[in-house]
Amino acid sequence: MCDDHKKYDWSRREFLEASGFGLFLAALAGCGRAPVQNAFGYIQQPEGAVPGGTDWIATVCGACPAGCGVLAKNRDGRPIKLEGNPQHPLSQGGLCAAGQAAVLGLYDSQRLQSPLIAGKPAAWDRVDNEIRARLKDIRARGGAVRFLGETVIGPTKRAMIRRFLEGETSRPGIEGQAADEGAHWKGFSDARHVIYDSLSASALLDAHRLTHGVRLLPQYRLGEADVIVGLDADFMGAWISPVAFTADYRRGREPEGQPPRMSYHVQFESRMSLTGACADRRLAIPPECLGTLLNHLAVRLAEKASVPLEKIDLGRPPVPAADLDRLADRLWQARGRSVVLCGSQDVKIQVSANFVNHLLDAYGATILLDRPSHVKQGDDRRLSALVREIREGKVAALFIAGANPVYELPEGGELKSLLRRIPLTVSFGSHLDETAAMARYVCPESHFLESWGDAEPAAGVASVAQPALRPLGDTRPLIESLAAWMDRPQSAYELVRRHWEESIFPRRAKGKDEKADTFEAFWEDAAARGCAEFEAEAPAVKEFAREAVQLGETAPEQPIDNLTLLLYPTVALQDGRHALNPWLQELPDPVSKVTWDNYASLSRATAAGLGVEDGDVIRIACGEGEEKNVVLELPALIQPGQHDRVVAVALGYGRRGTERFAKLAPDWIEARPLVGPNGLVGTNAAPCLAWEGETLRYRRNGVTLTKTGEKRPLACTQQHHEIAVPPRLATPGAGRRPMIEEVALSAYRAHPQPGGEPTGEHGAGLWPDDHPYAGKRWGMVIDLARCTGCSACVVACQAENNVPVVGRDEVRRSREMHWLRIDRYYSEAADGVDTAHQPMLCHHCENAPCENVCPVLATVHSEEGLNQQVYNRCVGTRYCANNCPYKVRRFNWFRYARDDRRENLALNPDVTVRSRGVMEKCSFCAQRIQEARLEAKRLDRELRDGEIQPACQQSCPAQAIAFGDLNDPKSRVARLAASSRYYQVLSELNIRPAVGYLRRVRNRDAGEGGMQHG
Amino acid sequence: MAEAHHPPPLVAGNKSSADVTRDICAPLERGPTGWWWSAFLTSASVLALGAAAVAYQVATGIGTWGLNRTVGWAFDITNFVFWIGIGHAGTLISAILFLFRQQWRTSVNRSAEAMTIFAVMCAGLFPLIHMGRPWLAYWVVPYPNFRGPLWVNFRSALMWDVFAISTYFTISLVFWYVGLIPDLATASARARPGWRRRLLEFFSLGWNGSYRTWHRYELVYLLLAGLATPLVVSVHTVVSFDFATAVLPGWHTTVLPPYFVAGAIFSGMAMVLTLMLVARKVMGLEDYITQRHIDPMCKLTLLTGSIVGLAYLVELFTALYSGNAYEQFAAMNRLWGPYGWCYWVMIGCNVAVPQLLWFPRIRRALPAVFVISVLVNVGMWFERFVIIVTSLHRDFLPSSWTMYLPTSVELATLAGSFGLFFTCFLLFCRFLPMIAMGEVKGVLEHGRGNVAEEVAP
Repeated sequence: MCDDHKKYDWSRREFLEASGFGLFLAALAGCGRAPVQNAFGYIQQPEGAVPGGTDWIATVCGACPAGCGVLAKNRDGRPIKLEGNPQHPLSQGGLCAAGQAAVLGLYDSQRLQSPLIAGKPAAWDRVDNEIRARLKDIRARGGAVRFLGETVIGPTKRAMIRRFLEGETSRPGIEGQAADEGAHWKGFSDARHVIYDSLSASALLDAHRLTHGVRLLPQYRLGEADVIVGLDADFMGAWISPVAFTADYRRGREPEGQPPRMSYHVQFESRMSLTGACADRRLAIPPECLGTLLNHLAVRLAEKASVPLEKIDLGRPPVPAADLDRLADRLWQARGRSVVLCGSQDVKIQVSANFVNHLLDAYGATILLDRPSHVKQGDDRRLSALVREIREGKVAALFIAGANPVYELPEGGELKSLLRRIPLTVSFGSHLDETAAMARYVCPESHFLESWGDAEPAAGVASVAQPALRPLGDTRPLIESLAAWMDRPQSAYELVRRHWEESIFPRRAKGKDEKADTFEAFWEDAAARGCAEFEAEAPAVKEFAREAVQLGETAPEQPIDNLTLLLYPTVALQDGRHALNPWLQELPDPVSKVTWDNYASLSRATAAGLGVEDGDVIRIACGEGEEKNVVLELPALIQPGQHDRVVAVALGYGRRGTERFAKLAPDWIEARPLVGPNGLVGTNAAPCLAWEGETLRYRRNGVTLTKTGEKRPLACTQQHHEIAVPPRLATPGAGRRPMIEEVALSAYRAHPQPGGEPTGEHGAGLWPDDHPYAGKRWGMVIDLARCTGCSACVVACQAENNVPVVGRDEVRRSREMHWLRIDRYYSEAADGVDTAHQPMLCHHCENAPCENVCPVLATVHSEEGLNQQVYNRCVGTRYCANNCPYKVRRFNWFRYARDDRRENLALNPDVTVRSRGVMEKCSFCAQRIQEARLEAKRLDRELRDGEIQPACQQSCPAQAIAFGDLNDPKSRVARLAASSRYYQVLSELNIRPAVGYLRRVRNRDAGEGGMQHG
Repeated sequence: MAEAHHPPPLVAGNKSSADVTRDICAPLERGPTGWWWSAFLTSASVLALGAAAVAYQVATGIGTWGLNRTVGWAFDITNFVFWIGIGHAGTLISAILFLFRQQWRTSVNRSAEAMTIFAVMCAGLFPLIHMGRPWLAYWVVPYPNFRGPLWVNFRSALMWDVFAISTYFTISLVFWYVGLIPDLATASARARPGWRRRLLEFFSLGWNGSYRTWHRYELVYLLLAGLATPLVVSVHTVVSFDFATAVLPGWHTTVLPPYFVAGAIFSGMAMVLTLMLVARKVMGLEDYITQRHIDPMCKLTLLTGSIVGLAYLVELFTALYSGNAYEQFAAMNRLWGPYGWCYWVMIGCNVAVPQLLWFPRIRRALPAVFVISVLVNVGMWFERFVIIVTSLHRDFLPSSWTMYLPTSVELATLAGSFGLFFTCFLLFCRFLPMIAMGEVKGVLEHGRGNVAEEVAP
């Protein structure tokens, strides 16, 4: 709660105005402790709370371990929206699609409501007593206690787990005081915290142990890099920390910046990733050639750096040697300002990548080792050791938190029965997932919005995670559970606060403000801002160990003739943790645009060789010899840009619990199944993961594909994928549609006004202008040079505007409801295929074709240029949608499911829930405009530029969207609209859209192919 | 001109006025035949199926149709335009041909007008049920209301449709009814005492057959014919504005109004032929509907069909010559895209098949004429489908391109509209004189030599 509510002598009108509130509250967000609030509105209203008023509570996103800063928008005691925290140094105000969707997860009615013993609900007391008794027993017998979980970025949680396992005396410096208060918690004689990430970066950490002596994940600073080489690393999609990477990547690509900057990004990959789609150059390479490629680069760079290398057999480079020479030149010229990112899980390859980075002087410049990232700490070796122990029956107690090994590991099936044999299994799962179902005790963790916590996603950057509401069920934060079992029950708030007081406050960055140098002030500031910076202990990094580099060992891998299976996480579901979230299931994949399923991506040639088309089910058999034959049956998808010898399958599907979606969509006579033949959404591909050495590999060589003859059409939101029309229907010179305009950097620099017709202009009309726009005129500019297609805006819009989920069948019928979609187009390019993304939303045209065709005036123009849809006037003729050249209008074909009353708590009370039979579309977040206007009026000031941010703009990690008043020449949007890169789509129709785009700039020489103009 | 070869009389069998009255009233007075019953039960069942489909759709949601975010109209507006078009031949025959004193119209005008009314009823159904919230359909009518200054949008072509269709329906109904009055009086005079007779008496408005009555009747009829005449052109012009005023490539064309009017008369003539060829056989009216009637209708079909064919060419030419990539693509996609087969069905049925009517031998072969007339209507239905769906499904942004497939509910609704049409038409045949007795008597040659020719202007 904010404690500085001024006293006003309120008239009724002022009171109403104040009930609208502004983003300025974000600055005052969550001052101090947010008192725990009722989830279902106030029965007794706390003093100072404004009914209908908004509180912004700064906290940390828990959707993945990247730990982005978020502000939870609380309305009447319940969070209804998450927004990126602009003050967070890593995420910088951006939030990804999964983060945006997390608020729906809070109200998931399938979250466990209480702890379970052997699958039956039980009271915490009983659970605690039983676990304590068993732990005592295990300690007495010296049994092995293992704590298995994903990376823990919360310093308090990490310390608590350590304390729980190792006892309190082990680190007296920090926990010494606690020890005085009661009997010592002695820990266990044989305890280990096994961290593993289901999307592992273990090899990257291991490589740094070999080359720099410390096992760590460095912090990449893409904003400092002029040349970025990505090697199978989807760093803006789902690799490590996509929001932070995207925000940083954007800093290095500002063609109009002061000074202008445009990094050169080359991506080598085997499948088509989001990051590859953004690259200036993208080369499809055979999946086993990463090492060879790196060696070729290393040899070239070593020569330039005059580093002597032993003679090795390099093999044939997977890309033309001239390309490599040129790339090596560019990297070398930009040494100290270049970086190579490698997503391989092969330690030797990662060592080679480190060597290349070392040759490029990237360490200390674009790669920081002294302030490492904490986002991935998993160690596959320890995981495999644990699996061995479990197999041998050596584990006495297994605690599982934030992980779902039965689902995520290749030996999941085996683990399922093995877990039953462990004397004590405790899961902290919030759902009865694959693993929790096997555990004797399930102690559900509270949602991150329900509990106190903290995060330190990178060394020295810490955040307090504040709860936004009281737990909806009888759940408990993990640290409270551990504290209870250690016989010193404490609330999460006390635990976090104490840890901060003892460990973080003393190392705070000494600020200028000495007078506020008390813990209280530090804490309140950290809680209010959502983050604090402090001096982290620098790891003991050693000099680059040249001897670790054994280029010869990685090369040349024998080229293989058969297919390789690549397993990858999707932007939406990641490793499957978000599979129960309908928003994310319905989010079109940024590259393939497929929803509600995973599929086997094949290149066109491979598909043709097999005789399969989109939607034909194919059987993928992997594993040879004594290994069990793992078989997946998946519909095929033809993916341009993919290497011919690759079949790519997304992880994260086929999760237990997705059977709930079988009844999601309207039931009618021609309704088709919403889940697959297995009763789930998609198929789990994790059994195809492979252990190689001691790291988990996301690829598998030697798979065989067969066509089954079945068909399973995919629910894809886009049916035509090229920017060009089908060649046989094209008239001469009219093949390519001009929606996407691109310009090569050289051409852009040469001519600030690049080729193509000047757009955005219109001749004088016969009639006087309908709309004078005396005051504001709202408009939007989207920078295609920044947009990565990550789709965070799509989910942000869905959350803000109560956009319904319609289910697989309706998507197949082209009836998805997203107000904002991202169009993805392929075009032929010199290197294979160029991909372009284009966010598409209502253009709020001045001469709107939708407005004049509505017989009942249900869609009208506002004085400020908004095209307003009046839901309760709409009779549903759909003429407006037919006449919309952008096809952004969405119709409620049915009464779309809103039957989950719990999930309805995530609805935005400022936005009408539409009934069946009415049209809807983007409103430019009219409710936000209104809020800001009322707030400005209350404070008796003008609206400021940037004060109004539609949900899409707010969420964008790349800050590609600008919104504001086009009438104000000083506004950001007006300045961008005057840019030489500005163009409008379909402006020739004289519809005068209020949305425009900035041409995409590719760092290329003119004439290097692609969708260029000029 | 006509002296060269003597045309056969309009009514065969040398009928007297009494014969006419007896023949025409016979279906009303004898019980329904087995043919009628089987036809009626079939149509009524199909109507019931359609009614069930509409009820299901209204109760469940318009999502039970195959429409989507890109294709917002398909079967619904196709059927609407199709049925509206059918109606036009009726008005043409009863009004324009009346003004032009085309005597062959007398045997067919009553049925053609009935056809118009039933077709407009079928047509009017679709704009109603195609709405997302059909229970609010009255909002498209500008009436004084207490919802604040809520008014309708006079700039919307759909609004114009509301006026065009309601006017059309009203005038057609009045015209038809006025024409019926003398015959209703005749029928009531012949009816046995009872409710039927009372009803007929009531609706004949006290007709007494006096000279003054006839005089006034003729005057009113002439005036109404004058009023109805512009509707033949205006209604379908307005319907075409639904498309012509839109921005969509394939819709946004100036050729649409004449194209639509010609198409409407084309399809209407074909429908009249279909109905008359069946009716003359089933109702035993071979003497009244003769080659003298069928031949000019065939010629009109041929003429309008050729105009339609020309319109198709003009449309293609304009699109390809326009220099507008979207228009060009819309044309190419129509011809060779995924719905290309619909286009070629349309061309086959509307342009190629009617050319057979150049041959008198074909015009005289009634089974052939029947097949041609049915094919024309198949083609005209596809024409509307092609205009609507092929333009919509692939418009400006390739990202939004998609396909449309009708659902069973839509197919049942389409069938149901035919059920409604034929049910109404069969009831009409059974309960009302389907040939205008008064008018036919005026063109009889019985007892007057070849007067008919001298009367002709």
